[in-house]
Amino acid sequence: MVYNFAKNFGIKNAPTWCPGCGNFAIQAATKNALVSEGFNPHNTVFVFDVGCSGNGADKIEANTVHGLHGRAISLAAGVAIANPKMKIIASSGDGATFSEGPGHLIHAIRNNYPMVFMLHNNENYGLTTGQASALTPKGAKMNASPDGVYLEPINALQFVLSLNPSFVARTFSSDIPHMTVIFKEAIKHDGFAFVEILQTCPTYNKATPDAWYKERVKKIEDLKDYDPSDIWAARKLAEDMEKDVYLGIFYKDTSRESFLKMIPNRKNTTTSLIEEVKNYDVKQFL
Amino acid sequence: MNRVRIKIVGQSGSGLLSVGEIFSSAINGLGYHIVADREYPSLIKGGHSCFTINVSDKPFSSLSDSADVLVAIDKISMQEYLGTLSNGGILIHGQGTAATSITEKAKENGVKIFELDSKEIALASGGSAITQNMVLAGMIWKVLGFEFDKIEKEVETRFKHLKKEILEANIKCVKSGYEGVETVQGIWNINTENADNILIDGSRAVALGAVACGVRAYYAYPMSPSSGILAYLAEIAAKTDMIVKQAEDEITASQMALGSMHMGTRAFVATSGGGYDLMTETVSLAGIMENPLVILIGQRPGPGTGLPTWTSQGDLDLAIYSAHGEFPRIVIGLSDSEDSFRLIGEAFNFSEKFQTPVILLSEKTILESKMSVDKKFFDREVEVERGLIEGPNNEEPKRGDRYKITDSGVSPKWIPGSGNEYYFANGDEHFENGDDTEKADEVKLMYEKRMKKMTAIKAELPAPEIFGVKENADISFIGWGSSKNAMRDAIKIYEEKGVKVNYLHYSFVWPLEENSIKDFFARNKNVNLIEGNYLGQFGNIVESKTGVKFKNRLLKFDGRAFFIEDIIKFIDKNGL
Repeated sequence: MVYNFAKNFGIKNAPTWCPGCGNFAIQAATKNALVSEGFNPHNTVFVFDVGCSGNGADKIEANTVHGLHGRAISLAAGVAIANPKMKIIASSGDGATFSEGPGHLIHAIRNNYPMVFMLHNNENYGLTTGQASALTPKGAKMNASPDGVYLEPINALQFVLSLNPSFVARTFSSDIPHMTVIFKEAIKHDGFAFVEILQTCPTYNKATPDAWYKERVKKIEDLKDYDPSDIWAARKLAEDMEKDVYLGIFYKDTSRESFLKMIPNRKNTTTSLIEEVKNYDVKQFL
Repeated sequence: MNRVRIKIVGQSGSGLLSVGEIFSSAINGLGYHIVADREYPSLIKGGHSCFTINVSDKPFSSLSDSADVLVAIDKISMQEYLGTLSNGGILIHGQGTAATSITEKAKENGVKIFELDSKEIALASGGSAITQNMVLAGMIWKVLGFEFDKIEKEVETRFKHLKKEILEANIKCVKSGYEGVETVQGIWNINTENADNILIDGSRAVALGAVACGVRAYYAYPMSPSSGILAYLAEIAAKTDMIVKQAEDEITASQMALGSMHMGTRAFVATSGGGYDLMTETVSLAGIMENPLVILIGQRPGPGTGLPTWTSQGDLDLAIYSAHGEFPRIVIGLSDSEDSFRLIGEAFNFSEKFQTPVILLSEKTILESKMSVDKKFFDREVEVERGLIEGPNNEEPKRGDRYKITDSGVSPKWIPGSGNEYYFANGDEHFENGDDTEKADEVKLMYEKRMKKMTAIKAELPAPEIFGVKENADISFIGWGSSKNAMRDAIKIYEEKGVKVNYLHYSFVWPLEENSIKDFFARNKNVNLIEGNYLGQFGNIVESKTGVKFKNRLLKFDGRAFFIEDIIKFIDKNGL
């Protein structure tokens, strides 16, 4: 069945992003991908962080939670555990993911919680007016870094790939068709699907504007013989953030079970936690 | 009411805990009433630990600070705890003649000594240095005059998982200890009522209460004294099918619980004060999302790391005032194992019904004290009230109504994905349909709607309970938490002396029900505060909310629970 995305995931409120912000395209591609994978606002849960990505929360029609800064992954993990029938899309920016809450990311990868996690990487703190994040390039002059950032940035994919993930991809906010394809693959993945979105920020990211990316992005699909099950190939490919910035599915391991399937005492359970709330007799434990 | 008071002391890791547990379990099997608690330092081996057991023929609820029988595994612990042994008490130890310098002195105070070389006996019985604790177990059992087969059976049950040879060596050690000493007359001055009790600590009671009321996920990060709940729920998870998840930190544990509760299951979180500090942003989020959330704080003395393995009532202000912004919440103080089982169910019902956080305050002494509870107590069917709109008899949910302005402040809530309507749960200020708003009039209305729930909550919370006479007491107390246990015993002790003591106990400490306090003050002339902290946190709230003034304050903040002697000393000074 083909869904009309405007009907199914709607456009509720007037956008509050800057003209040219990558969030417009990210949300459009997200809707495209969900609709074409057969999801609708009733069986999808969005968990938003705080910041410019988080301001997408009231622009989309679905089961939606707008949570706290740095905590979207943990809240979404609780959502996923309670009702595994839902498709869960959690989004956070680079500040939330790599400064406020990297511990959550590490353990979500390890636990393989079933969700799509979208890292909105615009290389700065947009909503607090352009401070540097841990992913801002060295030398960039930012709000509160008047002499330029003097630290090396974290390489998001290198970090994630070091943690034995089950799905790692990168896409680009100025390429809706590519984002749609990548999101669809992430949606199909049973486990923690990490997607880095290189997101243009015309207002505050002067170091790597849209044109900078457009000159550098390359597609993994154009690489001959690239094997997405080879973690070392993925780690090698993720090294370059300056010259050839690759987009596509870096790594995928479908042999890993997602969280709920790993729990020994739930292996034979067919119900979900939301169906199990009732009075229980505890006399057997006395 | 008579009680026999026993302390078993030794280095941590020396097996004294096993002796204490075997002894209390065997005594419970004989139908006596028991309260037992353990004192131990925050380390794995070494330091002095003490397992205190009080036994009585009648139900009771608190411990004495002194002992009639002191059982010492080593010399240093013997020295440390000898001062707690009453004159004419009994000292049982396994040091043989090596402790003569200490025991000679004790004899001068009329202490009767029973000594064996427990290590030598353990080795001769095929055991090891560690199984000398079993020699001591046998000694206590004989000195107090019980039949051997009862303790033998207890040891067999406890160590049934061990290899046959090892189990047999343990039994042999118990037997050698039993045969090496004589029974002393007059110390066991109580007769059994043949009560059918279960010996259960607050950790297990609250965990079973969680299971009973339909909690399906438990998220936690280890922290004393809450870790016992995590361990026990994990232990029984194969039977309950509950998801028991040790999260990477407390922030995560609380966020996961919030997410799971949002989706419509029941999820529980327990921690201690320091861990709760990290959860406060989540509590605040639950406040504005109007999401149920139930967190237990197992109190221990702070600030900082404080005293990790000791007890406190110091986190009441934390529970009431923590987390940024203003939002309604309920704070419930547990007092004993029965409360722990019962009130967690109420916590979930209130949290779901009023769509707001509930904080349960427990204490190290509640979580780790074993108390006798009548088996029949657990026969109750726990009521599960969820406050959800669902099914054909309810109104059909409408997404625009999720935060609808209502008289009570409570808006329609339903399980996401359950009907034809999804909704937006927003941590930013919002209006009725959940969408962001920054309009002054809408902000004000929504703010008032949330805060109005406080009135609705207050109207539904159960009233505080009076123990002892209803009015005209010679001396009265108001308090919360484990203070209840020593108060209940004190009331009985003074009743026998013809002195009227009463106690107003608050389980639902926040929002504060004020009329009961005013009424209690009007009917009693000498009302005092009892509380396990320095500031008298509850007392300060009571005074500022009601205008009453406590005559005196009985405060304790040394890491120990109120002993019965603390109350007696206070009453004798302030009451008569």
